[in-house]
Amino acid sequence: MGGQDPAGRRRSSPRRGAGDPVKALLHRHRALCERAVDPLEIAAGLEAHGVTDRTAAGLRHRDVFSLAEELYARVPRVDEHRPHPEPAPTPRVRADWALLALLPGTVAALTVTGVRLTQGRPRLLLAVAGALAVALALRLALRRGPLAAPSRALARRTATGTRAWTCWLLGYALLGDGLLRAVLDGGPHGLPTGTAHGTWPVATVPVLALALATAPAAWSTHLLTTGARRRLAGSRGLEEFTAAVQPLLLGTFALSLGALTGLLALCGTVLGEAAGYPQALTLGALLLLARLLAVHHAPRGAGPALAAAAVAEAAAVALVLAGRLPGCAFLATPVDALAEVAGPGGVPALACGAAALALLFRAARTLTRASAHAPTGDPE
Amino acid sequence: MRIGLLTEGGYPYVNGDAGLWCDRLVRGLGQHEFDVYALSRGRRQEDEGRLEPPPHVSRVRTAPLWTAEEDGVAYGRRARRRFAERYGELAQVLCAGPSGRAATGPDGPDAVPGLMADRFGSALYGLAELARDEGGLVGALRSDTAVRALERACRAPGAHTAVRGARVSDLLDIATHLERALRPLSLDWYGDDGLGAADLCHATAAGPAALSGLLAGHFSDVPLLVTEYGARLRAHYLAAGPEAATPAVRTLLAALHGRLAAEVYGRAAIITPGNAHTRRWQERCGADRARIRTVHPGMEAARFTEVGEAPDRADPHTLVWVGRVEPAKDLVSLLHAFAEVRKEEPKARLRVVGAPAGPEGAAYLGHCKALAAQLFPDEAEGVHAVGDNPVCFEEIGGPEAPTLADAYASGTVVVLSSVVEGFPVGLAEAMFCGRATVSTDVGAVVEVIGGTGLVVPPRNPRALAEACVALLRDPERRERLGAAARARALELFTVEQNVAAFRGIYLEIVSHCPVRRVVLDESGEPLPFAVPAEAHVPGRWTGPTAQVAGRRGPGRVPGATAGTTPVRATPLKAPEGAR
Repeated sequence: MGGQDPAGRRRSSPRRGAGDPVKALLHRHRALCERAVDPLEIAAGLEAHGVTDRTAAGLRHRDVFSLAEELYARVPRVDEHRPHPEPAPTPRVRADWALLALLPGTVAALTVTGVRLTQGRPRLLLAVAGALAVALALRLALRRGPLAAPSRALARRTATGTRAWTCWLLGYALLGDGLLRAVLDGGPHGLPTGTAHGTWPVATVPVLALALATAPAAWSTHLLTTGARRRLAGSRGLEEFTAAVQPLLLGTFALSLGALTGLLALCGTVLGEAAGYPQALTLGALLLLARLLAVHHAPRGAGPALAAAAVAEAAAVALVLAGRLPGCAFLATPVDALAEVAGPGGVPALACGAAALALLFRAARTLTRASAHAPTGDPE
Repeated sequence: MRIGLLTEGGYPYVNGDAGLWCDRLVRGLGQHEFDVYALSRGRRQEDEGRLEPPPHVSRVRTAPLWTAEEDGVAYGRRARRRFAERYGELAQVLCAGPSGRAATGPDGPDAVPGLMADRFGSALYGLAELARDEGGLVGALRSDTAVRALERACRAPGAHTAVRGARVSDLLDIATHLERALRPLSLDWYGDDGLGAADLCHATAAGPAALSGLLAGHFSDVPLLVTEYGARLRAHYLAAGPEAATPAVRTLLAALHGRLAAEVYGRAAIITPGNAHTRRWQERCGADRARIRTVHPGMEAARFTEVGEAPDRADPHTLVWVGRVEPAKDLVSLLHAFAEVRKEEPKARLRVVGAPAGPEGAAYLGHCKALAAQLFPDEAEGVHAVGDNPVCFEEIGGPEAPTLADAYASGTVVVLSSVVEGFPVGLAEAMFCGRATVSTDVGAVVEVIGGTGLVVPPRNPRALAEACVALLRDPERRERLGAAARARALELFTVEQNVAAFRGIYLEIVSHCPVRRVVLDESGEPLPFAVPAEAHVPGRWTGPTAQVAGRRGPGRVPGATAGTTPVRATPLKAPEGAR
């Protein structure tokens, strides 16, 4: 019964007389009736406003429920398709995580300076202390802000393995290339001296650049999160959302890789060493993707990918060593060939690159789903 | 008999609602063995601790409703398809149409009214079976598969108009809510060592607690008793106001809770509403009238005995109002009514006893005090006396009203002016105190007072004033009404009647759904009559070496299977004296 058109109102008015009491009630509770999703909601609302069965009986109804049904039928539903529903509260840039993200880079830079300025035993102590400090700073930086993992048991359980593999990969970035070169040359003939020269050179540039890149990674992830929230509020369908998030994901990913490239160039110039772009960039991409997946509740693929890269690196060194055994020279052949073509940096570049590519495919599939960007946090 | 007591946000937590009632029930029915299965509503509740259960509560298991950990189970292809099918079915049913009408109305959108309810039930139990077989339901309910199924259901041709325009954020919202509502499905309570071993599930509310009971019924044929002191569905509607979410989300949630309530009411062996108002909501949601027994809440009568038995020594001109101060109590209307009373009875005084409920209540109390000061100037006996206001605001524990009973005793007529009320506890207390009452016709007031006090329409100060004046002027009538009220309260609202009613209902349910467990004696032979519905003997009933073969043991047809090996023989649990 359309109460809103004038003709309908004229027709219905004689039946109830001039003072239609239901209409007065309807007028009083119009907002309730317009926004109710079913008659029971109107009934609950009316009762909360003191309408009882006796009131309903005065309005020629059996009970509040049948009165509510009449009201539900008489009031047209308000079409509440707001053109732009307000997006979910986006995480704001906060000083704590913005500053914490700078911490690993700062500590790493201080450590590198210290190592450069000292000699002998103090250098070793400083290097070990610096490595521990960087690890600690990284942990702190990843606890807050956009790179913080959701606090779920599943994430916590997988985190230990991931952390170990990450440490191994970073350690290889620091020492691995020098070790592989030394092993290929029949060494190693001594322990690393902490410089980029000698028999076992240490590559500080990639690690320093990666530590510094924590900040741009946090910022680009923040961009991804806010952008995804905005698209979440604006999209009508899941396909539309996926299509909108894909360029955003790839864009922010490219942005942080670009920042890493810049940092590598800068560090290389300042320290006067080779930057080692391929291995550092692939490792940076791998670590960033693994973190993104963990942040968005899809940490399953990340651990195995990190593990695979780490095992591949270890295997390369082990194969060369095994090749020295009598009759096993063939074992070293593939690594030899790769090192000849791309230098010792080719091994980690290949390992991390393949793993990063796999994770990129996975991220492009899972991180573009709406469920990966669902607001977290259970209400308490 | 072993009772599985299912609670949500209540017993055994210290600050739970209905905790006191559950505690009295459990303590009052010492002849049965209780297992308490509690769902907690928040971290604060868990931190505040629990009540110490009596010794015949053999086990307390709890699960949080407010948070859930994924167990890390990733579904394989087949399990994922099974999940997608069932979840999709559930989503389709919820998107199909308004639940309230489909559940009861003959002219609902679905041609066969029971069909949708059947589909809902099978989808629900399907998901529960999946959770039992594979685990990992929490993760699955949050997964992309679930969101996609929701989107498909919302865009399907028969879907409700309100959900057709659901956006991605709405879909995620709905998925989150569904995950929270279906959390009891992932619990590990339904095995033979849990609810499966109970003879009766007693849910203290429809909703998640009753959902656990439904699953116990589905997996192990345990009968379900549902007690509600306020309709859960109505609470949902009032909590989820129009501002809470978009129409699409609210529509789907209303459908979910409506269907769930209908399923619970449909499957429950007995439903016990606390008052007629709740009963009407339950009937509306599809409860069968034949299975409804109204059990009024019980109150401790002893603390009012002294006041109730003693003759009325209060000042014959004093009206008293007792309760928690909040806008729904409509004290403004009471003050206006009192102004009218003062015109007729200049000596009348009004005492408002109660603490404000929350910041809103405090603001309302301030408003009422200002209004009282405005309406009634301070007055004194003579030119030389210090005056005071005829309306005074006090709190329980103050010098004027040290206890609740004293507060009631301080007035000769107790007034209740609420516009909204569930079960009016204050009114029942006034009845225990033997006071004549004037109350507004809201909630369960008429049902409680039943002719032993005066009832006026809500929001009508003049009618309230007239009733008060009539009682103030007629001491004999006051006395008569007060005595009748006390007699009625002692008959209906005592703890004893409440516990006795539940004791009878337990036995009634067990008489329909008899205990099928078989107790084996030392030689492994079934022991007839070893599991009586209730027993009042000191010590153990069945002896220490007796064994119980589970529900599905040889006990299905005891005579035919005597002598065969029991399928699952488990030793009896420790405190067996109450069996």
